[in-house]
Amino acid sequence: MKKGLMLVLLVFLTFLLSFAPNLFAEEGVTDTQIHLGQWGPQTGPAAAWGNVARGTGDYFKWINDNGGINGRKIVYHMFDDGYNPAKTKAGVKELQEGTGMFAWACGVGTSPGLAVRDYLAERNIPWVGPAAGSMHWVNPPQKNLFAVYPLYMGEAKALVKYAIEKMGKKRIAIAYLNDEYGKNGLRGALAELKAHGMEAVEQVSMEAKDSDLKPHVMKLRKSKADMVLMWTTVGHSARIVGISKAMQFAPQFMSTSTTSDFPLMMNITKGLWEGVITATLGELPGSGYPLLDKYKKEVFDKYAAKEERWGVFYYAGIIFTEPMIEGLKRAGRNLTRESFIAAMESIKGFKGIGPEVNFKPYDKNDMYSRQGASQTFLVQCLANGRAKQLTEWMDIK
Amino acid sequence: MIDLIQMIVNGIAVGSSYALMGLAMVIIYKTSEVPNFAQGEMALISSFFAMMLLTSFNMSVYPAFVLTFVFAVILGCFLEFAILRRAKEPNVLGMIVITIGIEMILLGFVSWKFGAEQKTMPFPIGPYDSFIIGDIFISKLEVLTLVAALLLMSVLYLFFKYSKLGLAMKATQQNSVAAQIVGIRTNRILMMTWGISSLVGAVAGLLISPTIMHPFMMWDPMLKGFAAAVMGGMTSLPGVVIAAYMLGIIENLFGGYISIEFKTVVAFVIIVFVLCVRPSGLFARHYVKKV
Amino acid sequence: MDMKRDYYEDVQLMSSPVVIFWFTALIGVLYFFPLFVGSYYVYVANYIAINIIVVTGLNLLVGYTGQISLGHAGFFAIGAYGTVILMAKAGFPFLLALPCAAMVAAGFGFLLGLPALRLEGPYLAIATLGFGLTITQIIGRIELFGGRDGLHAPDITIGSWVLDTDKEFYYLLITLTILLLFFMRNLIKTKVGRAFIAIRDADIAAQTMGVNILYYKTLAFAVSAFYAGIAGGLYAFVLKFIEPEIFTLLMSIMFLAMVVVGGLGSMLGSIAGATLLCWLDLKLRNILDIPYIGDWLENLSKHWFSITGVSNIQYIVFGSIMVAIVLFEPLGLYGIWIRTKKYWRTWPF
Repeated sequence: MKKGLMLVLLVFLTFLLSFAPNLFAEEGVTDTQIHLGQWGPQTGPAAAWGNVARGTGDYFKWINDNGGINGRKIVYHMFDDGYNPAKTKAGVKELQEGTGMFAWACGVGTSPGLAVRDYLAERNIPWVGPAAGSMHWVNPPQKNLFAVYPLYMGEAKALVKYAIEKMGKKRIAIAYLNDEYGKNGLRGALAELKAHGMEAVEQVSMEAKDSDLKPHVMKLRKSKADMVLMWTTVGHSARIVGISKAMQFAPQFMSTSTTSDFPLMMNITKGLWEGVITATLGELPGSGYPLLDKYKKEVFDKYAAKEERWGVFYYAGIIFTEPMIEGLKRAGRNLTRESFIAAMESIKGFKGIGPEVNFKPYDKNDMYSRQGASQTFLVQCLANGRAKQLTEWMDIK
Repeated sequence: MIDLIQMIVNGIAVGSSYALMGLAMVIIYKTSEVPNFAQGEMALISSFFAMMLLTSFNMSVYPAFVLTFVFAVILGCFLEFAILRRAKEPNVLGMIVITIGIEMILLGFVSWKFGAEQKTMPFPIGPYDSFIIGDIFISKLEVLTLVAALLLMSVLYLFFKYSKLGLAMKATQQNSVAAQIVGIRTNRILMMTWGISSLVGAVAGLLISPTIMHPFMMWDPMLKGFAAAVMGGMTSLPGVVIAAYMLGIIENLFGGYISIEFKTVVAFVIIVFVLCVRPSGLFARHYVKKV
Repeated sequence: MDMKRDYYEDVQLMSSPVVIFWFTALIGVLYFFPLFVGSYYVYVANYIAINIIVVTGLNLLVGYTGQISLGHAGFFAIGAYGTVILMAKAGFPFLLALPCAAMVAAGFGFLLGLPALRLEGPYLAIATLGFGLTITQIIGRIELFGGRDGLHAPDITIGSWVLDTDKEFYYLLITLTILLLFFMRNLIKTKVGRAFIAIRDADIAAQTMGVNILYYKTLAFAVSAFYAGIAGGLYAFVLKFIEPEIFTLLMSIMFLAMVVVGGLGSMLGSIAGATLLCWLDLKLRNILDIPYIGDWLENLSKHWFSITGVSNIQYIVFGSIMVAIVLFEPLGLYGIWIRTKKYWRTWPF
C-alpha cells in the first residue's frame, strides 16, 4: 500500500496535462469552415445502421466538392458510439467542447439521442434529423431540434388504412418489438383499427434478443389473421415471413419503412419477401427519380467505400441531412445559430429525395413546428427485388 | 393437442442448436475446466470463413464445408497453443477473462473483415423448407441440425469412452500430473480438445447461418448452449443434449401457454431452481469437497 | 518488505505518514481538478468514478470471497431504476432515494447469494448471468418503470443546492466514491474482511474455524450488490436518462473484466482496472486518428478488410490488451505495480 495511491495520482495528472484550448469566435464556424458532427454505431449489435452516418459523410464530401455552402466547406466529424448512450454522450461532449461543433446531424438511435438531447438543448446547439422516429424529439418540441423522420404512428396508420380500405382485410394481427419503436407502431395501428370499428385479432410482442420466433408465429397463425403488420427489426421480420411460409401460413404481410430495403430483404429471406407491403422513407432506387439517380451517380459511385451498398439506410443519411444543407444555404454568409434556426424555420415545401419537409416558427404547443416530415407512400416488393408503387405520397399527420 | 405436439417439435428443433453449442463448451470444460466464452465467436469466424469461400472464391458447398471444418480445427488448436497455454499461473477467473478477450478479438475481426450487414449463407437446404406431417411442421434444416446434434453426441461419447485419445483426455482432466507421468502429453491433448470443440461449434455455426448471418448471431445460441451445458452438468455429453432439449421444449411451452414475453429468460430462471436442487447439474455426479 | 509485524499494523487503514500525505494530496487534486478542465473531462471522471464503485464492490465478491458474478448489471439497473422511481414517483430526496434503492439491490444480492451458497465456478456464473438478463427483461415490461421507453432522471437537489451540471455532480460523486472506498477498506481490514478471505482460500477450513459461511457469503453478495446499486443510482444522473437495454450482459462482463485486469483482491487494482478499461472504452474509437498508425490501418482495411467495418479494430485492441494483461500478469495491473515497486525499491543496487 505504501505510496500506492501514486498510481492514481499519475493517472489524474495525465488528465490534467491533456486538454487543449478552445478559441473560436462563433462556435464551429470559421471563414472557410463549418464543423458538423454525427454519431453512428459502427460497432456493436446496431452496426447495421452505421451506414446512415457514412452516407451523410459522402453527401457532405459531394457538397464540398461542388463549392461548399456560401464559401464555406463542411468539416464532418463522425464518431462511433457502438449504440451505447454513455459513449454517445462522451463523444458529443468531447467534440463539442474540444473542436466545437456548429450543429449536429442525424445520429442513429433513440437511447443514444436521448442521452444527449438535454445537453444540446441547454446550449441551444442545433440538431437536425435524428435517425429514429421517436416521439421524444418533438413531444414537447424543442427550439434547437428539427426532426425529419416521419412518425411511426402515422406510418402504421397509413398501412392499416390501406389494408382495410383498399385490400378489404378483416382480421389484422400485429407483431411488434417491445420497445419505443415497436410500441409507436402498435399505437398507430390500434388507433386506426379503432377508427374503423375493428380490433387487432392478435398482438404479439418480442424482444430484440429473441432468436426463436416460432411460438410468436404460431400465435399469429392461430389467430387466422389475413394481414400481419410487423413492427420489428429487419432480422425478425425476415424470420417471421420465413417461418410463416414453413408453417404454410400466408397472410398479407405489411412492414415498416425500416424494412423497405427490398434487395436486402429479398437476400436474407431468400426471395420470400416478395409481395410484402411496406411504407417508405423516401424515393426508391430504380424508380427513376432524377435527384436520387444524381446522388447515386455523383455521391455513391464516387465517394462510397467499395463494400458499401446503395441501400435505404445509406441514402437515409442523405434524406435526413438535406433539410440541414438547405437551412445552411438559406442562412447565408452570416452564419450563426440564431440565423440557422431562423432559416430552418423558413423551410416550406422543401422536397429532396425524402418526403416534403415543412418547419414553422417555434411554438411549444405545436409539435409540427419541429416535426418536418409527415408523408410516406406504400410500396410492394416484386420478385426481382424492385418495388411497385401502390400509392402516391400521402399525408400521415 | 396439435399445438402441444407442434410446440414440443419446435422445442426439439431449437434445442438442437443449443445442444451443439453446449457440446462444444463441455468438451473444453471436461479437460481444462475453463468455461469458454469465446466458443460462439470461434463458430462465428468459421461460418464467415465458409461464407467467404462460397461467395468470394465461388467454391461449391461441400468442399467449402470440408475446408471450413479443417479451418475450425486449426483455429481451435491455434488459440490454445498461442494464447491459453501461455498463461502464467492460470486460475479459472483469469482464464474466463482471457476467453472473453479472445471473443472480443474474434468478434472485432469478423466485423472488420465482413461488415455488419445481415446476410444469409447459400446452403443446399433452404432455411424455410419444411416437412409437413399431418398438421405438424418441422423445417428440413432443423431436422438436419437434430441429426447432427445426436450424431456428434454419440460419436463423441464413444470417442471419450473407448478411444485411446479420448481416454487420454479423460485422464488429463482427472489428474494432469499423473497423466503426464504415465506419458500423456497433456499440452497436446488440451490443444486437440480445443480443435474438436471448435469443430463442433463450426457445425452449429454452419447450421445457423443459412437463416441469418451477422457478427452477433452466435450470442444467443452460445448463452443457451452454456446454460444447457450447466444444467446437464458440464461434464456429461448426453446430459448436455438432454438438458438442451429440455430447455428448448420448456421455452416453447412457456411461450405458448404462459407468457411469450418472458420466453427468452425462462431458461435461466429454471436453471437457478435446478441448480438449487442439484448444484452440479442434472447428470453429473456431485463431488463433496474435502478440506 | 511489506511485512506486517503486529496486529495493529495489519488493521490500520493507512500504513504510514507518507501514505497519508499522498492520499491527502490526491484528494486535493481530485477536488480541484474540475476548476481547470472542460465539462467533457469531468464527465469522463464521473463515468470512471461510477465504474470504480461497482468494481470495488464486485472485487469484494470475486477477489476477496472467491465467488463469481456475471449479473452485476442487474444490480446496477436496480439501483438506477430504484433511485429515479423513488425520486420521481414517491418524491424522495436524492440522498434518501439513493441508499434506499441500493438497499433494494442489496436485498436482491442477498437472495442471489442463497443459491450461491451451493454453487461455484460455471454454475454460479450462469445463475448470476441469468439474473442479470432476467431483471432487465422484467423492468422492460413494467409500465410504471417506463417500459422500454425509458425514464428521465429528475434534477438532484440537496437542500437548496441544485446539481444540474456535470461539475456540481462531480463533487457529490467524488465525495461518495471516497467514502465508499474508505468503508470498503475498513471492512476488509476487520474481522469481516478476514472471514471473506478465509472463505476464498478454503471455505471448509474456514467453517471449521468457526466462520459462518451462510452469513458471510450472503453478506458478500449483499454488500457487493449495494455498491453496484449506489453506482447505478449515480449513473442514472450521469446519463440523465435510463432504459433497460443499457444494462446489458456486456456491461456485466466488462465489470468482471475490470476486476480481473485490475487485480483480484486489491482495491488499488479495482481503481486502476476501472480507470484503464473505461478510458480505453471511451478513447479507442479515436484509434484511426492516431498519426501513421491510423493511416496504416485504413490502408490495410482498404486492401484486406472492409473500410466500413474499420472501427471494429477497437474491439481487437481492447481484447488484446485484456488478454495480454491477464496472460502475463495474473495479478493484473496491481501485480505490475507491485513488481515495479519492488524493482525500484532497491535501485540502483
